[in-house]
Amino acid sequence: MWATNAKIVGIVLGTLALYTLIANKIPQVQSEVPQALSLGANVTPEQLVAAGEKVFNGIGGCTTCHGLGTRAPNLLTDETGTGPIGVRCAKREPGKSCKQYLYESLDQPTAYVVAGYQPIMPVMTKQLSPAQVWSVIAFLESQGGTVDVTASDIPSTATTSATSTTATGGAGAAGGAAFAGGSTDPKAIIQAAGCLACHKLEGQGQVIAPDLTHVGSRRDAESIRKKILDPASSIAKGYEKLAGIMPKAFGTMMNAAQLEAVVQFLAGHK
Amino acid sequence: MADPLLLLQAAADTSRAYGEFPVIGARQFIWITAEVHLMFAAFVLGVPMFAVVTEAIGIFGKDERYDRLSKEFTRLLLVAYSATAIWGAMLVFGLSTLYPRFWAYLTAIFAPSMWVYAALFFIESFTLYLYYYGWDRWKKGRAKLWHWTLGILLNVWGTIVMFIANSWLTYMMSPPRDITPTTDPTTIKLWHAIANATWMPINVHRVIANVVFGGAIVGAYASYRFLAARTEEERAHYDWMGYVGNFIAMSALIVLPFAGYWLGREIYQYDQSMGITMMGGFMSWLWVIQAFLIAVLFLTGNYYLWIGMGRIPGAERFQPYTKYLLIVLVLGAIVWGTPHTMIADSKELAAMGGSHHPFLGALGVMSAKNTAVNLMILTTFLSFLLYRRANVRPVVPWARAGTLIQAGMFAVAAGVVLFYGIRGYFVEAIVRIGYSVYQVLAVLACILFVTVIDVLMARGAQSLGAIRWGKMPPRSQYALFILAVTFTWLMGLMGFARSGIRQYWHVWQVMQDTSAYAATPALGYASKMISLCVLIFLSLVAFVFWLGGLAEKSTFVATERGAQHVGH
Repeated sequence: MWATNAKIVGIVLGTLALYTLIANKIPQVQSEVPQALSLGANVTPEQLVAAGEKVFNGIGGCTTCHGLGTRAPNLLTDETGTGPIGVRCAKREPGKSCKQYLYESLDQPTAYVVAGYQPIMPVMTKQLSPAQVWSVIAFLESQGGTVDVTASDIPSTATTSATSTTATGGAGAAGGAAFAGGSTDPKAIIQAAGCLACHKLEGQGQVIAPDLTHVGSRRDAESIRKKILDPASSIAKGYEKLAGIMPKAFGTMMNAAQLEAVVQFLAGHK
Repeated sequence: MADPLLLLQAAADTSRAYGEFPVIGARQFIWITAEVHLMFAAFVLGVPMFAVVTEAIGIFGKDERYDRLSKEFTRLLLVAYSATAIWGAMLVFGLSTLYPRFWAYLTAIFAPSMWVYAALFFIESFTLYLYYYGWDRWKKGRAKLWHWTLGILLNVWGTIVMFIANSWLTYMMSPPRDITPTTDPTTIKLWHAIANATWMPINVHRVIANVVFGGAIVGAYASYRFLAARTEEERAHYDWMGYVGNFIAMSALIVLPFAGYWLGREIYQYDQSMGITMMGGFMSWLWVIQAFLIAVLFLTGNYYLWIGMGRIPGAERFQPYTKYLLIVLVLGAIVWGTPHTMIADSKELAAMGGSHHPFLGALGVMSAKNTAVNLMILTTFLSFLLYRRANVRPVVPWARAGTLIQAGMFAVAAGVVLFYGIRGYFVEAIVRIGYSVYQVLAVLACILFVTVIDVLMARGAQSLGAIRWGKMPPRSQYALFILAVTFTWLMGLMGFARSGIRQYWHVWQVMQDTSAYAATPALGYASKMISLCVLIFLSLVAFVFWLGGLAEKSTFVATERGAQHVGH
């Protein structure tokens, strides 16, 4: 009976070893936690391209669809004789530079669906920070074209950008990962949180979302706090189409003191 | 009064989020306890399902062998229940000490269901004790029916317990969309959290998978007892028991992919990025491993049947066909295992001119894979049919016509599968997805109608000789071990897939994992953890079975009647 037992143990261990061996022989891909992307004001095109490649192949999840030829157009290889994306991007939409076209494709992917493909791409400006978005654009331009993305294209390059709106937040994040090293300087927090990628404040930032320069005259502190913690709670008139764009995780990306500092700062902008 | 959200925020800032477990680490401890608990739980939920079915066959078919078999199944449950509870307790202690903030979050939402869970587990345990210890006391007449009702109740309690636990883990995967990171968990309605997008698909998938798993473990138990048997009668009994366990496992396995397909579709509908991560993202290679394991299951299951034909007089008529069945199975497995949407870097993509191999890429798409798996299922069913027919010569006047109709059904089903498989290459994805339904329906219809015809045709059939139960070479029994190990490993792999697609979130996009173990490991590391869990589980199961053997002698009964027909 001992021989039989030994055979059974051998078969069990052998089967386990075989499956473990096969699983270790295939390419090993680990899903990393997104890390902060630091791009200084003097970032070079090469640095942007390198950072963009990491985002493209990593947290951006771009390779999941692009390059397959079935879900989405090839970007890094030839697409139906038109070359890689850096070659063809400037020719896609009349009057739009490569850089403009690529940004709008990431920001409004359903606006430029290539014939033969489904509108399945998520809004990448919701998924990635401005620094990541612009570094991906630089990387795509480098695929056969000329990189013309510079630090001036990237909002708040002077400070560290949060990696991704989905990469932070969550109650579990509280206390651990706070913006701007936990600083309670509201300007530093606003810069670090990437608010100016969409909002304008004190002459800086974009005008995609409501201008915050006089936000204190429209909303009181409680309303601002509620809006940050639950962006869907109220939508400014004229911006209904942007409902759902603002990340819902800001409330937990900041600690309580930071949140209160930002709220009082904005409430003071009458 | 302070805003409650601010108070919550302040509390979150100060409370301890994570603990650490010595030597192996917190995540590894939770991984092992959760997985081994789940394996025992699957066993104690799966075995009662077919214990109650075999008891019913014994009662209504007046065949005492099945009653004895059912009792032997149930005996295996007694110690396994304790092991399930012990590992469950270790998991709860681990979660509450190593992931206290996350655990507090879950309990804030699910506490009432946790109390119901505990109460039902208590009731379930005592139902099991009544069911097992009352077996010989309530064995006649109406009392036997009451006893059988206890078996049904055992299944009802167990299923509800599993559904409750499923609600917790599916909430982690797919919390309702209106729940945000700032939602106070105490304000979330319990039913709203329970009835999340993936709850019911997981429930259905696990019910079926538990039957598969239970059948496989019982098969392994029987094979061990077969190899250890000292008498011919004992060997015959455990040969038969192993056959029944394998039959149950393989039968349930055939419908499992359809439940998995539903679950996958719900994941995509809930969050497309989660679906893409699962099928085309960092987990894409996992499905190649899964295809390999499924291929092992199909090949080993069929191999066991083909060897089994050696103990059936008359089976030699069909044995020449097995090589063709083997060819179809191997080709199907190769197609199913062809990689498709692999995550690759830019250099690899450029080298391939895309992420598909220029030739093999065409076999990696769902049209080819669905066709392959449906043909494998048809082939396995044909193997079983030949096995079932091996020692039977139908005598009904329409026997020849019936056989031709059966052959025609196989041909039509295979034709439908091939037609839609090929046509799928020429239509859009949204149309192609619908074709898989036609393929599945063709296969299921074939299985159903061919079985009905076969049962009718077997009436009064001439026997070519009794099955020589026990006359099986040892390699057939080792095949059952490989099946049990593979099913268990596959369960661990799929558990990793289900849990891993949340990536660095405890609760998807609501509560982030900020621990040192937030990154989701690659398959190589996961495979080592899975193998370790399988080894722990199988070692404990072997101990449990050994204890069962100490407690009571084998329940086999020698019978001449049992050898009249296969599949009974």
